[in-house]
Amino acid sequence: MSQLLDPQAVTRLYMGNEAIARGALEAGVAVVAGYPGTPSSEIVQNLASVARERNLYVEWSVNEKVAVEVAAAASFTGLRSLCTMKQNGVDVAADFLLHLGLSGVRGGMVLAPCDDPGGLSSANEGESRQFARLLELPLLEPGDFQEAKDMIKWAFDLSEELGCVVMVRSVTRLSHASGDVILGELPSVEKKANFKHRPLPQDPQSGPMHSFPVPQKHQAQQRKLERAVEIFEASPFNTYEGPEQPELLVVTSSACTLYAREAIDLLGVQDRVGLLKLGTTWPLPPKLLGKHLKSAGQILVIEEVIPFLEENVKILASEMVLEIGPKKIMGKRDGQLPMVGELNPDLVIAALAGILDTPYQASSAGYAEAAAQVGEAGAPPRELAFCAGCPHRASLWSLSRALELDGRDGFVCGDVGCYSMAIFPTGFQLTKTLHAMGSGIGVTSGFGKLEQFGMGQPALAICGDSTFFHAAIPALVNAVHNQTNATLVLLDNSGTAMTGFQPHPGLPYDAMGNEAIPIDPVKICESLGAKVRIQDPFDLEQTEKCLLELLAERDGVNVMILRKPCALSPERKKTKDFEMSVDKQACLGESCGCNRLCTRVFKCPGLVWDSTSQSASIDEVVCIGCGVCASICPVGAIKKAEAAK
Amino acid sequence: MKVLGPRELFEDVQNSGLCIGCGACVDLCPYFRNYKGKTARLFTCNLPQGRCYAHCPKCEVDLDQMARYFWQAPYEGSALGPYREILAARRGPALEGDSFQGGGVVSALMVYALQAGLIDAAVLTGSQGMFPDARLAVNPQEVLECSGSKYAAAPTMAALNRAVRDGYGLLGVAATPCQATAVSKMRMNLLEQNDFKDPVALVVGLFCNWSLDARRLAQFLCQRIDLQRVRRMDIPPPPAGTLVVETDRETLEIPLDQIKPMIPEACNICPDMTAEWADVSVGMFEGRPGWNTLVIRSQVGADIVTAAIEAKFLETSSLPAENLNRLARAGTAKKKRCLTTLRQRQLINHDGDGARYPLRIPEDIAKRLLDG
Repeated sequence: MSQLLDPQAVTRLYMGNEAIARGALEAGVAVVAGYPGTPSSEIVQNLASVARERNLYVEWSVNEKVAVEVAAAASFTGLRSLCTMKQNGVDVAADFLLHLGLSGVRGGMVLAPCDDPGGLSSANEGESRQFARLLELPLLEPGDFQEAKDMIKWAFDLSEELGCVVMVRSVTRLSHASGDVILGELPSVEKKANFKHRPLPQDPQSGPMHSFPVPQKHQAQQRKLERAVEIFEASPFNTYEGPEQPELLVVTSSACTLYAREAIDLLGVQDRVGLLKLGTTWPLPPKLLGKHLKSAGQILVIEEVIPFLEENVKILASEMVLEIGPKKIMGKRDGQLPMVGELNPDLVIAALAGILDTPYQASSAGYAEAAAQVGEAGAPPRELAFCAGCPHRASLWSLSRALELDGRDGFVCGDVGCYSMAIFPTGFQLTKTLHAMGSGIGVTSGFGKLEQFGMGQPALAICGDSTFFHAAIPALVNAVHNQTNATLVLLDNSGTAMTGFQPHPGLPYDAMGNEAIPIDPVKICESLGAKVRIQDPFDLEQTEKCLLELLAERDGVNVMILRKPCALSPERKKTKDFEMSVDKQACLGESCGCNRLCTRVFKCPGLVWDSTSQSASIDEVVCIGCGVCASICPVGAIKKAEAAK
Repeated sequence: MKVLGPRELFEDVQNSGLCIGCGACVDLCPYFRNYKGKTARLFTCNLPQGRCYAHCPKCEVDLDQMARYFWQAPYEGSALGPYREILAARRGPALEGDSFQGGGVVSALMVYALQAGLIDAAVLTGSQGMFPDARLAVNPQEVLECSGSKYAAAPTMAALNRAVRDGYGLLGVAATPCQATAVSKMRMNLLEQNDFKDPVALVVGLFCNWSLDARRLAQFLCQRIDLQRVRRMDIPPPPAGTLVVETDRETLEIPLDQIKPMIPEACNICPDMTAEWADVSVGMFEGRPGWNTLVIRSQVGADIVTAAIEAKFLETSSLPAENLNRLARAGTAKKKRCLTTLRQRQLINHDGDGARYPLRIPEDIAKRLLDG
């Protein structure tokens, strides 16, 4: 049985996302929906794994907006629902959330976005916190793993008390780090759904759910926030540690709490610095803030990415200036801390040490130099790269060749997935635009209409199968309807590979492992009137030929589906089609005629350059025997033999 | 001659609009390919020196060095290049067929050379639809399939590169002036490779004043005719001033004024009209349909012409002085046009300042040609 269902009172080492999932279970959640996206994906995955035992409905939705809609439906019927996504998923869902803020919810509904400061696994470092203010929804931020569980559970109660969605924001270092969590009770609750859409005078929890009349609903929404402030004033998730009259007050939240605590400890300034850790970060509780701001002359706000908390603290401080006196509030706007990227204890220590004029040396002189020397020898620099046997490498290889042969300075409009790495050498730097999910074909649709302004360059869009369903279809419809000359290359690797093979609408099973109806992209594209071709990307010659034909046609919308399961997919993992070898005598190596095409350009990690023999070599541990490299060797020195099954 | 690598080739030739798509860099390696008449660099190669650069007829062609290598004499800049004799010629009765552009001399020489064992294969230019296609012919039938002029620039040298890789060692090559220049640079083994063996036994040069960009020509023609039905193209001698395109249904005459904008920039910097780096060169014979002009340059060329006449593959007669003079004037005019363009674009150099140029000619010769 999953440790997610362990009994109450035991202590378990939970990943932050497991803690969030357990919190939802302890709250009696009934419906869970989300779209995969690092660092959020494990929440839905964990809950899907216990769906049967806990009588849950869990789905991977087609996109984040639909996920919120699915979760909202449950709430409208009185059930508790949870919705998860990565930070930019909130952007996708924002339109519905804006209206949901006005209509309100009934059963507790929690939105748990997981942000990725530094863009470790993202093409952005967007801020979901901003949406709390923008959409006028209460925001909570757990500061450790126990809080991640407890706060989620409380958020459901809060949501029901206020009648609005509550956001609980996590970050990579909380979602993907692990810590001890003391478990609470898993309740036995009756989960019965009924949407009381007819207004019943005796039941305020009845009637249609919409945003009209808008001003009245908006006013009601703002009253909910006022009530939230009252509740937040006494919230146990807002804590203070330190002297009564600190020299410096640190105001922080989320994973930054851990950095701040560590920094204060390492500097040994516990008697000089107070730490106000906030769990309820929007709207801020003014009385609590006022009390602590008054106690210190200078304040440092520690948070990641933009100065969201800092600005909100400054607004309150200015409103209360007569009461608390003028304050020096530091943070990002004055450069004490960076406005981009993740924070860490070192950055916080540097800021604190500077403000307190306390020297700090993390290590002895010469340590950094010695460490760098050791590091250089032990850890060779590595570029981001597609895995050995990745079908994207083969697809992009053919795409790159076809565009060069076509010779009209064509380019690829990229999309979000592993193939986003086509901006790097591993994808031959083929992608020249890369933005949001589904934007590849959207941008291509635009490029295709610029012929009247003299643009002769062909633009090709790439997107993965999950992305196709998520957001590419409307753009494809747009391209067809507006008679754009556009080509979409659908890199169909049979799963949401980048985030861990979550199912998507193209697959015959759902998040809970039940049978599902697979939607065929071929039929969708054909029904729109696009010409569709399907090709195995490992057949480089045919793929290139087909791409060249598509480029030459440029007559309306074409779709080419390059279909091959991901090398790490359950289907292909631990299977080997070919045993690969290199004829070292035949290998041209660095000579004119090859110049290490396989290890310098194609760069599959399964191929390595053997400087001793001055020839290519197969890394038997890494090679998965896809056989593609045999097709690229100019002299046939890379051999493939059928692998024993 | 200076030999650099693919980066310089890409920068100086392809990115500068000077690539004629002759195929000299194609199929030597996985990096350069020709598709529909245009040579593409598929991926970057960082070698400091490569055969691609060494063989390219548009980079660092030192005409004086080439003349001293092939003719054991300095480059003189004569109108028609060094030659022993210029004749009128046509195929003899031993060669049957009816698809020849002029006198069928190129086909006759290649078929004869194949049958006589003087060459083991012929590097020729065929057609794939509207696009010229590099071919390797190993029998007379395959030679005849390539007969007829192609007015679009052709990647013929790719077939030479493939043939060498496949082990052919006695190749006949029918080459335009740029292609013949590439063949000669290749034969000079500028990279001084130890295992190099000259694979070329015969170069039959083709007169060429300019060629056309294959893609632009195809695009132009496809708006007027069904490209699949094109059977033959011809540029009749002056004063016709037209490109004649014959399909199986109609004959289209296009004024050269409409065609000339499709001449690649690379042709404007070519000083060679009669394929001076060949054993023999063949062109049209103005005013005598069914005949060619034949320039015999080398001993190899003289020998094969004599043998082909004996074997009744070739017939010759004297060339009227008027024709020779006209040809020489045209040859001189092309050299002057080329040098003017090269000077204007600062693409010619003789002072060895370390910069890279497509063409190097002794300054006194350049001055004479420009003044002449």
